[in-house]
Amino acid sequence: MAQVQGSCDSFCPAGEAKMRIREKLLHYFELKNGQKNTPGVLVKEFTRSAADVKMPLPKEMRTEAALTKTVEYLLKDIILDTRKPYHQAYDFIFDRLRAVRREIVIQMYDARQKIRLLEPIVMFLAYSRYRLCEESIEKFDPKICNQHLQECLTGVLCCYEELDGLESSAEPTIRELERRCFIECLYQVFNLGSPESFTRALSLPDYVRQDATFKLCFGLCLAFQQGNMYRVLMALPQLPHILCALAATKLQAIRRSLLQIFTHAYNNKQLTVPVPYLLRLLLIDGPAGLQDQCRHYGISLSADRKAVHFNKTDFNHNADLLKPQHERFVESKLKRIYLPEVLLLKKFN
Amino acid sequence: MFGTVNNYLSSVLHAAQDYDGESLGTHLSLRDVHVQNHSLYIAQPEKLVDRFLKPPLDEVVCAHLKVLYHLAQEPPGYMEAYTQQAAACGAVVRLLQQLKDENWCLPLMYRVCLDLRYLAQACEKHCRGFTPGHVLEKAADCMMACFRVCAADGRASEEDTKRLGMMNLVNQLFKIYFRINKLHLCKPLIRAIDNCVFKDSFPLPEQITYKYFVGRRAMFDSNYQAAVQDLSYAFSNCPDRFASNKRLILIYLVPVKMLLGYLPTKALLQRYDLLLFHDLALALKAGNVNRFDEIVRDQELVLIRSGIYLLVEKLKFLVYRNLFKKVFAIRQTHQLDMADFLSALQFVGLSDVSLDETHCIVANLIYEGKIKGYISHAHNKLVVSKQNPFPSVST
Repeated sequence: MAQVQGSCDSFCPAGEAKMRIREKLLHYFELKNGQKNTPGVLVKEFTRSAADVKMPLPKEMRTEAALTKTVEYLLKDIILDTRKPYHQAYDFIFDRLRAVRREIVIQMYDARQKIRLLEPIVMFLAYSRYRLCEESIEKFDPKICNQHLQECLTGVLCCYEELDGLESSAEPTIRELERRCFIECLYQVFNLGSPESFTRALSLPDYVRQDATFKLCFGLCLAFQQGNMYRVLMALPQLPHILCALAATKLQAIRRSLLQIFTHAYNNKQLTVPVPYLLRLLLIDGPAGLQDQCRHYGISLSADRKAVHFNKTDFNHNADLLKPQHERFVESKLKRIYLPEVLLLKKFN
Repeated sequence: MFGTVNNYLSSVLHAAQDYDGESLGTHLSLRDVHVQNHSLYIAQPEKLVDRFLKPPLDEVVCAHLKVLYHLAQEPPGYMEAYTQQAAACGAVVRLLQQLKDENWCLPLMYRVCLDLRYLAQACEKHCRGFTPGHVLEKAADCMMACFRVCAADGRASEEDTKRLGMMNLVNQLFKIYFRINKLHLCKPLIRAIDNCVFKDSFPLPEQITYKYFVGRRAMFDSNYQAAVQDLSYAFSNCPDRFASNKRLILIYLVPVKMLLGYLPTKALLQRYDLLLFHDLALALKAGNVNRFDEIVRDQELVLIRSGIYLLVEKLKFLVYRNLFKKVFAIRQTHQLDMADFLSALQFVGLSDVSLDETHCIVANLIYEGKIKGYISHAHNKLVVSKQNPFPSVST
């Protein structure tokens, strides 16, 4: 297959723009000031490759610079657009970034080019996974998000390895190394508990393994593997913004296993365990949050609601995991960042 | 050996006519003496070969001669050689499909696949310009094509079925999947072998290798009982003269057994030069968390390289258990102060441990059944059972 190189240097090739304007197929975010039928900035839509679709022409594909600009536009202008709820912006950005990913494949970019475009996409998916975790399934499907996140992540990781394998390639810049460290951390956190990802962590180049944030993530993953949930929970709030947010989506599972351990360890008919101790260990903000957990897993509280009564026969093993939720320590971190800067990997802490 | 190409080719022809798979395999092996014969290094052997052999065997032999040619170049053309070997493997697949109800050519398949893996490994080592593991993965795809033909051969009788070749291929594939850290790909292979009616009649050496890998995978999945079973089978059936293989098996068997509460004898470890585990076992027995961490830190590279780093780290809770058992032995009471456990942890050198964490560690040990009792938070005490508060880990 011959390599096609895009020649279109705008967000959306002219042909598609013309067709979509004519057919009135514009997304809300593509309309000028939200007015009906007045086109604003169009971004190329995702379309599937299919047997009856011809190989795209160069003018139907964007140049590398245009793709970079598209990603920046989506993760800066659209993501900060508050006129619509975030899940709608997510749908729009998700689709348009998918089109970017498709062009990366068709234009057969090399590892370096792929990395630069895929890294922000990974960040966006990870952020959205947390931001939308409380939405209902009609508005946000966490499975699909996870799947795409994993796919993009493994794609980037393969590129890193490819560059490691190339002798001739230029030395990576400090910036590139920082970005890689962050993405490697993200992979570890996202795959918490998987032996494969842990094995990868052990075999990474030294500059990644020595990175302070990576060490923190590694310690967290190791503690999880050992079953030391205390260490996991204490390390979690120390993670920087997006990593912390992504890790928070695993928090309910960690809380559940700690509660389950406690039902055995503090198993006694007379004795109780005070609420403040549990709030501290489980990283729960207030008594209401703990009550939700207890109710869900069938654990009883004392009459004055100041202590929990653990009994190992009470624990409801059949209860599904609680849905991930927004955590206060994550929210306060996210409030302090300028989102586009973080998603475009210009700032790491 | 063979002198001229014609001699070589007619010898191949005879082997094929005699249905002598072993001999045919040797003729196509990269480890046989004939590879030193310079007159076999031919860039375009098609015409010569066609005079002796019929398709698809001619393709196998052509590809083989080209492999020899590329390897004889200076520097050796590993990538080109690999590509030709992959072509040979493809031709073997066609040969297998053609020979219905016969399995005499299985040794040929083994040989070609084995050399394919060796060449892929050589490419990974010497060549650049692709993602590490890529060539090995491609090689695995070629072998899977062979595997499919073998696994699908269900109609032939038990002596003639190509399914007898499955385990050899599965072992080859395991070697690749473990090397490139893609263990999830092992699952369908294991299922195929498990569903095989004559899974116990594969040759013993193949079964040993198979159990070694299946055991390692079970270990990876935290399925330790199964891992011990498979690895023990491999260890006890592996003849003593293969000491290095036995050592390899022990590298996994020893820590898994430690996790299940069986400490190795020093004599055994000494015999196989694995005294590292003896040091670990001593620290574990003494409940010396700090010493244990120190060994892991010092031996980190060794542990990572052999793929047991995580497993050894999982022994940590046993070290805690042994330490806490000592606290119990000193205090001689069934109501133990949690602060004593904290002091014990600090005594063995853990500086960053808190009372909260001590609670969590003890809680974990109770949950796993390593301590019998309960914690009273109000009194900050662990109340242990009157009978057998620290049950033996191995039961």
